[in-house]
Amino acid sequence: MESKAGEIISQEERDILQELMNIAFGNATADLAQVIDIYVQLSVPDIQVVAINKLPDYLKDAINSDSKSSIVEQKFWGSFQGSGLLVFPSGSGMDLLALLHEKESEEEPSNKVPMDLIEKGGLLEISNILIGACIGKFSELLGTFVTYSPPQVFHGNSDECESFINGFNPSQTAIVMKTVFDFQDKNVSGFLLILTGYESLDWLRKALHDFLGSYE
Amino acid sequence: MISKILIVDDSPVARKMLINSIPKDKGYEIFEATNGQEGVAKYQELNPDLVFMDLTMPVLDGYKATAKIIELDKNAIIIVTTADIQPKSISNVMELGAFTLLKKPAKADSIVDAIEKVELKLANK
Repeated sequence: MESKAGEIISQEERDILQELMNIAFGNATADLAQVIDIYVQLSVPDIQVVAINKLPDYLKDAINSDSKSSIVEQKFWGSFQGSGLLVFPSGSGMDLLALLHEKESEEEPSNKVPMDLIEKGGLLEISNILIGACIGKFSELLGTFVTYSPPQVFHGNSDECESFINGFNPSQTAIVMKTVFDFQDKNVSGFLLILTGYESLDWLRKALHDFLGSYE
Repeated sequence: MISKILIVDDSPVARKMLINSIPKDKGYEIFEATNGQEGVAKYQELNPDLVFMDLTMPVLDGYKATAKIIELDKNAIIIVTTADIQPKSISNVMELGAFTLLKKPAKADSIVDAIEKVELKLANK
């Protein structure tokens, strides 16, 4: 299906992206379940094309500029390139870390390690699984592979967050894939954003149609 | 023998991939529903021999739809096709009475294999 004039991606391409994100994030949560005893309630992914100049506002709204938000950002490179953002709003990242380090805390008093280091380490541990596995599976389904830059951790409303948001070229358009998740029974929720820009668009369109074509 | 197949999935792409993987030469009548609620309604209306059910859907998810269908018909045959392959999800849906679970994206041969197993079950009834 061809995109209509003025459309960045067609409805069919959005539908394929949505299904691929669903599959990729499902795989990532299964990987996470192998590491920690947790059950993740999934939701239907949301695919949006964010208009020119709107990406910084979209991100500010999504992250909610909350100083308690914990954010891990990881760039990926290849035919498919962009950023993965794992966001735990309103301090729920700390609740998740408590879960992650439950066992370690029993063995080693937490006062031996500064809290910010524990938080950062835990968030990186989770992001390695959720961002890496999701983008990795997504790329695999589209017949490519990506390389990753080291992840960075920051909080909403921080200079790092502001710098990240303002780092996007306002003249470009981005495709944003968002999936919300809920760690059931643990009172922790968050979301994963995958942002990819105009530079991947031609490749992405072709890869999406090749993927669907392999089932025809 | 399978005559009618109902596919319940909110993703038009997932439904298309599944339809394209179901053998064309068997004369199966294929019906579609876009969420669990519609799936339950179509099950009641059409009484299909086999249901392919997604889990993550709006309105009514696949867990609740599977439970409702099995409550309506304890002999219902439901193959779950899902990206949610967490151990707890798999055990939950099998406990509800699903026939089997296929990981998305399901390959054509695994779909054909699952359909053959359903045919065998129906033939031995």
